[in-house]
Amino acid sequence: MKDNELLSWLEKAKLGDESAFQLVYQATHQDVYRTVAFLVYNKQDIEDIVNEVYMSMWRTFQTYDPNRPFRFWLHGITVRLVQDWKRKTWRRIRLFERNRRMTCEHFDWTDKAVQQFEMQHELFSLVRQLSYKLRVVVILRYFHDYALEEIADILQIPVGTVKSRHHLAMKELRKRIEMTGGDAYVH
Amino acid sequence: MSIEKELREELRQVADSMQCPPELYGRVRQSYHQYANDKRGRSPMKKRVLAGIATVAILIPSAVFASSYLADDLFGSVSTIEQHGGTQEDYQEIEGMLQAAKGKLTEDEFKEYQELIKQLIQFKLKITDEKGVKHEEKLTQEEQQRYEQLASKLAPYFEKINKNAKP
Repeated sequence: MKDNELLSWLEKAKLGDESAFQLVYQATHQDVYRTVAFLVYNKQDIEDIVNEVYMSMWRTFQTYDPNRPFRFWLHGITVRLVQDWKRKTWRRIRLFERNRRMTCEHFDWTDKAVQQFEMQHELFSLVRQLSYKLRVVVILRYFHDYALEEIADILQIPVGTVKSRHHLAMKELRKRIEMTGGDAYVH
Repeated sequence: MSIEKELREELRQVADSMQCPPELYGRVRQSYHQYANDKRGRSPMKKRVLAGIATVAILIPSAVFASSYLADDLFGSVSTIEQHGGTQEDYQEIEGMLQAAKGKLTEDEFKEYQELIKQLIQFKLKITDEKGVKHEEKLTQEEQQRYEQLASKLAPYFEKINKNAKP
């Protein structure tokens, strides 16, 4: 996706141009969806958050800094909304109810495809088991290829904190690989 | 293979398998519409769109029955309004307003409304010079009183028309 094009579409969409809205959606929805789905596991919640990301895109367009890449801004919004979602207490109440339901119905995690991948991709299933704070760093670093400084910017935390979380995440992953018997990645 | 490289590889593969559900588009679009409508409601756009629709609705039939202009009853012809600084568009707008009124009011109400509007417009024409500038001081005290009465008699009609005009 080209930033210039996207920005002009976004501007038009903000003014109510539906075809521009469609173009923005087409260009960004997979990326937004996947980013959220890496961080949040419930299908309904993922969709709620994706929807909110788009609402937020129209509303906060004026805060976009044209000197930075579009995706950086987009990922900033996405991660912020995921974090908002984690913070909201009413969601916790919903979570509580869901957990109660889940004990009867077993799992209602994301996609079947993801479950299957978890079996095939051991490392990915270990990433999913990391705490959110560590996982978000791993996803931004290895899925989106951001530098640690950029991650600090997106998460609005000090670089030192990002570094230590990154270090901790990698340590944790290596440890768990060892525990499961695989030693291919241990150095 | 290093763990970093393996991570990149696996995340990419898993991401490729995660497809955004197509039905989500409908939902996001709905929210977008809501956003767009909210925004429009706050701006004068809504009024303009309504006026535009009314004008278009009038222009189509009036192109066929060119002589059936309601506004012609009031002004005689477009040239009257043009002599007072108005334009063809203003004329169409007034026509649109009249047509809207005709649609919203009962027959008797419309007759009364038309009569009042006619008087009001006579006053307006009198006080407006060829550049469209108003000179209310041109009216005598008696005329001014009459003018105000007209305005207050018309107010309920306007209210009714505008209220019904909203979808």
